[in-house]
Amino acid sequence: MAITPLIREARLRAGLTQAELAQRAGVAASTVGRIEAGLRSPSTDLAERLVRAAGFEIRVGLGEPDPATDAIFERTLRLTPAERLAGAARAARFALQGRRALNAAKRGRP
Amino acid sequence: MAAPDLGFDPVRMLTALNDAGVRFVLIGGMAAILHGDAGVTVDLDVVPERSPENLERLATALRSIDARVRAADVPEGLAFDCSAGFFGNLAEDAILNLSTVAGELDLAFRPSGTGGYADLQRGAVEIEAPEGVRVLIASLADVIRSKEAANREKDRLALPRLRRLHDRTRRN
Repeated sequence: MAITPLIREARLRAGLTQAELAQRAGVAASTVGRIEAGLRSPSTDLAERLVRAAGFEIRVGLGEPDPATDAIFERTLRLTPAERLAGAARAARFALQGRRALNAAKRGRP
Repeated sequence: MAAPDLGFDPVRMLTALNDAGVRFVLIGGMAAILHGDAGVTVDLDVVPERSPENLERLATALRSIDARVRAADVPEGLAFDCSAGFFGNLAEDAILNLSTVAGELDLAFRPSGTGGYADLQRGAVEIEAPEGVRVLIASLADVIRSKEAANREKDRLALPRLRRLHDRTRRN
């Protein structure tokens, strides 16, 4: 799990400098600097402490691999942004017109 | 060699199924969107009727849009025996994730929590979609039922929203 970016994100969202975050968490300023620079991997406890000191919490859960969606990403990434936009527009057009048709069909139901 | 990928085109996929005379019910994320859901989907989930004649029509339709088995490490997809025999030999609860020239298409003969086409067809509503395409849309209750049974992470995320939508639409 990429926990280090979360620490930096929490600090920046809280508007804190590295030194301010370190002070709040009760660790040396160099500790935060080394973690954010990728020179040190924080333990889970330390990461949680730093994120809490910034006013956030880390939520962790179990996820399942989803290879079918991963495959869709691979295909989608081969398209240009214009092609992706065209696909989204076609889907939106279908959804809009299909929704109107479905609403009309439901209203006509006995 | 697969035909060029032109992105998601639900009408083109459904036209291929229509033109071949495939009997099917549309379920999943796109069905939910048609019922009013604000979610996003990049594929169609289709439940075909499983008679040998319909499987022949299904194979014809899928060949016309160059359907291949979706695979993360093979972006153009894997060629497969797209025939009625192949579909007939699939387990009842099998799900086939396909990539086509018109986008992603997931086939399930008996989606989780449902009894398949005959079961879903009872509550479905037929619409005429853009370009004259006729589609049976699974009821929102059946979409929810299948997502509850599938219980994938993305289903668990969508379910609270779909239940609220269902409650809202039942008040009409």
